[in-house]
Amino acid sequence: MNIGWYLAVSTLIFSIGAAGVLTRRNPLVILLCLELMLNAANVALIAFARMHGNGEGQIFAIVVMVVAACEVCIGLGVVVALYRRRLPIDVDELRELQG
Amino acid sequence: MTPKAPIIDWAGLSPLVALLGGAVIVLLVGLLRPRFVREVIVPLLALATFATAAGLGIWQWGEQISLISGALRLDQLAIALMWIICATGAAAVLLSWRAVAPREAAHGEYYALLLTSAAGMLVLVAAQNLVTLFAGLELLSIPLYVLCATEMRRETSLESGLKYLIIGSVGSATFVYGLAFLYGATGSTDFAGIDRALNSSSLVSDPLLLTGIALSVVGLGFKASIAPFHQWTPDVYEGAPTPITAFMAVATKAAAFGAFLRLFDGALLNAQADWGPALAALAAITIVVGNVGALGQTSLKRLMAWSSVAQAGYLLAGVVVATKLGLQATVFYLAVYLFMNIAAFAVIIIRERQTPLGDDIAAFAGLGTTAPLPAAVMTVAMLSLAGIPATAGFIGKFYVIEAAIDGNYAWLGIVIVIGSMLSLAYYLRVVAAMWMLEAPEAPVSTVTGRPALAGGDLDAPAPGAGIEVYAVAAVFGVATLFFGIVPSPLFDLAVKVGSSLTSLF
Repeated sequence: MNIGWYLAVSTLIFSIGAAGVLTRRNPLVILLCLELMLNAANVALIAFARMHGNGEGQIFAIVVMVVAACEVCIGLGVVVALYRRRLPIDVDELRELQG
Repeated sequence: MTPKAPIIDWAGLSPLVALLGGAVIVLLVGLLRPRFVREVIVPLLALATFATAAGLGIWQWGEQISLISGALRLDQLAIALMWIICATGAAAVLLSWRAVAPREAAHGEYYALLLTSAAGMLVLVAAQNLVTLFAGLELLSIPLYVLCATEMRRETSLESGLKYLIIGSVGSATFVYGLAFLYGATGSTDFAGIDRALNSSSLVSDPLLLTGIALSVVGLGFKASIAPFHQWTPDVYEGAPTPITAFMAVATKAAAFGAFLRLFDGALLNAQADWGPALAALAAITIVVGNVGALGQTSLKRLMAWSSVAQAGYLLAGVVVATKLGLQATVFYLAVYLFMNIAAFAVIIIRERQTPLGDDIAAFAGLGTTAPLPAAVMTVAMLSLAGIPATAGFIGKFYVIEAAIDGNYAWLGIVIVIGSMLSLAYYLRVVAAMWMLEAPEAPVSTVTGRPALAGGDLDAPAPGAGIEVYAVAAVFGVATLFFGIVPSPLFDLAVKVGSSLTSLF
């Protein structure tokens, strides 16, 4: 099997995610883009696991999925806390800390 | 056929079990109603947990064993770094005893998150597998994101939590993508397997491997705040509750450099020609950027953040050389870094609770005449961070420079010296403010100690700087001086740690 195509897809997903994190301003969309970056790693891990014929990459991918879920939970929690304080849900408007 | 379960060496695993078990107990006891239990028993239990883990480390000292089918490895490096992490955690518990953050976040949750984060750090510094390395990194990071945002009424705390979450997650995602490529290039997630694969074939110039190394450097760079991945550091350090800032500054750095040592000086040692020059360049950039960034700061927490960026550069020099001496120097410097940083943060907390100026450098004006003891501790910490002789910081820097020159990176040693010279400009500014400026006229000791809070309806008394904060400041300040004059106990420890990565020479 040719690993190249799988890696191309995974790199594309990772780049879309990274570009989204850099350009979008809503924290919820940024969290979605972070998911894309993590899932790009999953695609690569599973393709490599198939290439090498061992299961280690698949186990790694499951661990990554769990971590991704945890991160989104925390992220949503912080966004809700911001919303309750009537703070702008916009990362460019959050500029109390700088200098 | 049923798969065989791995044999678990519970004795070797006991420090980790103690930390996680302590976290569960603290969380459950924190649910009890009486206020005494929540405000006194819960932190005491957290302290006892850190003490137990450190004690179990003493019991296991000298062992070099693989745990859980080689997922973790308990050796002197893991135990020494665990002591640093437990000492930081215990100091953070004492520093937050009367702070606002645990009251807002319910004490049980706050201390349980602290313990979980410390457990993650222990997993990270003991990892022998890419999967455990990543799991440890996340177990350390995710509780810290929450802890940064625990002062929910203060906007800057929430902002720092969100910033840390987004930037930390970008770092993690990049790191895991890099680990995926390392696995792809070598066909193994096991450090020993990666080492074998790199040893036996001409993989060293394989583009998959190079991509993997580059991406994992970036990912760990975010965690250890290595320039140019350091931009989050000042904002997060300033916004987070100060005890958490102290914990992050020391323990996260110890854990991240433990991971650097395990991954680069362990698994990827045979590819040192690939990553050595790149990491050396990053170290030089980090030293310059950190020291220059600190020059214009007026907030002490921001100043400490930039200084921690610079210190990350010094520490990285010990990783770059990939020698036994470099490993010893890194561990020695991390121990010294613990003493001087916690001493400085304890004094910052004392001033933060006594004046309405918060962590501004103006809060320290004339401290030498009004409160000589905290001022003396702060002076020792600042001089040690700058690397003045007779403090532990000098010995640490000396050790790192010696390792750099010994490992044929003499130019990096010169960069460290130049960086230390630059750093005097801002460390001495703090010392000068304390001893040479007049104290402000109006006594400001009557403030509540939580000026940044909008709603003050938490009916608990205003937190003063209690005896425990002074004790932390005194203990760590004295340790900074003591190990500057008598460094041999720490030297012996570092030399023993040097034998734990057997492939180094």
